[in-house]
Amino acid sequence: MSQSRRDFLARSVQLGVLIGAGAPLLQACGSSDDKRSAVSAAIADGLPPEKGPLRIINYADYVNLEVIADFEAKYSVKVEITSIDTDTEATTKLASGAIKADVHHSMAGTSIGNLIAGGLIQPLNKSYIPNFTNVIETFNDPWYDPSAKYSVPYTFFGTGIGFRTDRVDPALVEAQGWDTLWNATDFKGQVSVLDDEREAFTMAMLRKGITDVNTTDQKIIDQALADVTELIDLVNVKVNIEGYKDIPEGTTSIAQTWSADLIAGAAGYLPEGVTDEVLGFWHPPAGEYVVTNDSMGVLANAENPVLAHLYLNFLLDNDVAEKNFSWVGYLPAIAKLDADFVIAAGYVPEHLRTCVPTNEEIAKAIYLKPLGAEGDAKYETAWAKFTAGG
Amino acid sequence: MTAAVSTRRGSNHVWALFALPGVGWLIAFFVVSVYAVMAVAFGKVDPFLKTAIPAWNPLQWDFTTMGRVLDEVFNGYLRKVFLRTFAFVGLALVGCVAIGYPVAYFAARKAGRHKGLLLAALVLPFWISYLMRMLAWTNLLQPDGLVNQVFGWFSLPDNRNWLDGDWYTVVIGLTYGYVPFFILPLYSTLERLDGRLIEAGRDLGASARQTFFRVTLPLSVPGLMAASVITVLPMFGDYYTNSYLTSGSPRTEMVGNQIENYLRNTGQPQTGASLVLILMAMLFVLMVYYMVTTIRQQRAAER
Amino acid sequence: MNPFRRRHGNAPVLAMVTWVYVLWSLLPVLIAVRISLNDGRSRSSFQPMSFRWYWGDQTASLLHDESMRVALLNTLKLAGLCMLIATPIGVAMAIGLQRWRGRTSNAANGLMLVPIVTPEIVFGVALFLVFSQMYTGLPDGLTRQLLGHVTFTISFVVVIVRGRLAAIGTQYEEAARDLGASRLQAIRLVLLPLLSPAIFASVMVVFATSVDDFVISSFLSTGASTETVPIKIYSGARAGSTPALNALATVMLLLTLTAVAISTIILKSIQRRGGDDPGVTGGLAGLSG
Repeated sequence: MSQSRRDFLARSVQLGVLIGAGAPLLQACGSSDDKRSAVSAAIADGLPPEKGPLRIINYADYVNLEVIADFEAKYSVKVEITSIDTDTEATTKLASGAIKADVHHSMAGTSIGNLIAGGLIQPLNKSYIPNFTNVIETFNDPWYDPSAKYSVPYTFFGTGIGFRTDRVDPALVEAQGWDTLWNATDFKGQVSVLDDEREAFTMAMLRKGITDVNTTDQKIIDQALADVTELIDLVNVKVNIEGYKDIPEGTTSIAQTWSADLIAGAAGYLPEGVTDEVLGFWHPPAGEYVVTNDSMGVLANAENPVLAHLYLNFLLDNDVAEKNFSWVGYLPAIAKLDADFVIAAGYVPEHLRTCVPTNEEIAKAIYLKPLGAEGDAKYETAWAKFTAGG
Repeated sequence: MTAAVSTRRGSNHVWALFALPGVGWLIAFFVVSVYAVMAVAFGKVDPFLKTAIPAWNPLQWDFTTMGRVLDEVFNGYLRKVFLRTFAFVGLALVGCVAIGYPVAYFAARKAGRHKGLLLAALVLPFWISYLMRMLAWTNLLQPDGLVNQVFGWFSLPDNRNWLDGDWYTVVIGLTYGYVPFFILPLYSTLERLDGRLIEAGRDLGASARQTFFRVTLPLSVPGLMAASVITVLPMFGDYYTNSYLTSGSPRTEMVGNQIENYLRNTGQPQTGASLVLILMAMLFVLMVYYMVTTIRQQRAAER
Repeated sequence: MNPFRRRHGNAPVLAMVTWVYVLWSLLPVLIAVRISLNDGRSRSSFQPMSFRWYWGDQTASLLHDESMRVALLNTLKLAGLCMLIATPIGVAMAIGLQRWRGRTSNAANGLMLVPIVTPEIVFGVALFLVFSQMYTGLPDGLTRQLLGHVTFTISFVVVIVRGRLAAIGTQYEEAARDLGASRLQAIRLVLLPLLSPAIFASVMVVFATSVDDFVISSFLSTGASTETVPIKIYSGARAGSTPALNALATVMLLLTLTAVAISTIILKSIQRRGGDDPGVTGGLAGLSG
């Protein structure tokens, strides 16, 4: 799994770009010939696919190249992927016209609002995407795109605790929840939190029973900062997004990390002679579980919009999604690929069932939403203080 | 003789032309870039796009962010970061001097037959990528790496996690990384020391030790200072050595890390730019000292 | 043996300290090279040797991992172009600065020295900001990285060449001028050949500096396609690294050493014709005056 994807995940909330109200400003900033307002008309029905090549923007190593090859074969077109490093990079390059593409493969929940309001993506004509019915129900009406007019979900994952079952008793983690990190004084130097200014503080808030993790109340943020800072002295906490390799390799015993990390770790990062039984994952119960997802969309100035729609449809096919998942490691938002299925198919070991969010957990999930410039600045400053050593 | 060449037929302008491409380039890509840092630091930020809106016109410069950052530096959380940076750099410098001076001295004055080979060995680290040398150390410092194994041979505790985020790992890393840059300039200074002065000291009855402390050392002080400055300046801005060696520990955070964080991961580029300016201001004295001594040496060589 | 040494003898302790230092300095690199030959994934212990990480492993070896090859190519491209651009500019600037009289010249000289004393992070930030705020017309990450590298290395060329210039003096050119050569001819036919050791030294320094650069390349990188070897090594410490990373670093090391060896051989053959010359070491030492 690539570093760029990990960077994106960590940065996407930090750089959580706009709120929908950015549209008027974008209008002011935009060039005179293109109006920056939401695109309202989708393409017409029944059009034939274009000749291509289909241009995609995505993070490096975030789609199975075999799946791409399958698409190329099926529709006799070529596919070109431009890779980007961060969410903001994608947005600014699209806005300035530096990148021209047809499909945006990984829009973050925090920036879709901006992309929509800024007229950078077009509404979808679902008649080209019959496979949309394969999608997990909650994503029919996600918080960032009401009625899923502009996007289809790509992958999703939750934030919890990844740990070594051979060093920490899973029952103990279950009982202590987030306190596990604060109580891990026996594991000094082997504890980490996510390198993300929202995730770490969100964990502190959830630990104290605060579920409104999108608050901008300075007092709550300060308390969260104080709590997380305790970890520095208590457990020599590390800050990174390498849980997927550090836990299997054993350099980290307890980590705040994403569910997909454990799946990826089990699949590719175990040293020789170590089985995946040493990996464990805990997450808060539904209602306190932070779930994040990426989405795909068609760009407003796409030259191959029909082909783009067909690509989205292609990735939402159950078998294609499964093939993609087997390489990428992040769960696609496909209803069929639930815990039972992926475990039976051998992609995920049974004891890592917790890494696959259930429908109920998704329905009741908490989302990290963009907070506007001032709100984000509060978290950024708190994070800078934490990383400075408290 | 030099004057004869340069004043012949108004040739001064010709030489200026030679220097023009370089000067033009440096102005376009260095001076303007530094100005851009100031323009961003004293500018505003787009409240929606979170990108910088630089203030190119000095009359529009807004110093509120700089004021806030300075406040944090002297009274707030950045104070700790700066103090820690100074501490790391200071300790690493001590390490460089302790290791580098004997080596440079030996190479300059005592190497004899093996001088060529020794010099090659001392120059070699320049051709080896800095990060490869750090990579080598991360290999050695793994929990089951060579360092712990060697400790085990000597019956010392062999299970220490060196990559834990402790200050000594960072100091060792900085010392290891920068000591070659310290040794070579010092070597060239020590080599140029007038051996007769040292001989004179011995001839006048001083012991080897006294000669060293009263003749050699004082003579080498300018070289020592120059080498220290050229080693220490880049160290202050280092942010990759510590994060490479500690996989992200808040306890070893240096100024460079904060700068990088603000500029790449937050919507507050003006804060990052302000920090850069503050760093430059703090290093200003060292920078000027180095430039002045270099210019003096250039003039002396060209006389 | 000079009388001093005869009287006071060699210093065995210092000798030991020095050679221990050399070992301490170079041994880790040798170990890193040895680890690149590991057959398994361990980055810390020695395993039976194989070329798995160079070409054997079907997905993760240097040969098969696209991102590694891209990084290697980028690094070489950048270093090569940087050499070609920075050296002529720097040599011209050195000649010009040394002979140009006047206050403007002093200012230019000062300007040339500032990059040497500027911490790299300042460079990285400044270039990053200027390319995103002012020179926005340059989209390609590689172009920006190249411009950054050249800016950073011109000053090294100037300092190295100036050191040599001072040693040469002007008498050869003047002789040529007296014999009827134009100024440019004198420079081209007389001065430049005399300068060639320093030019070679500075070419190597530019190459090594560009290859080694991390901060500027990192700040100006725009994604996976603009990664260089140092960036790959750095991010590799954090992302599933295998000994393939060691292999990448080893290959880069071998390329650099080969380049140095070749240029030293050329240098020596030129030197046989010229006078004394401190060579690359002197050039490097000259960086500090």
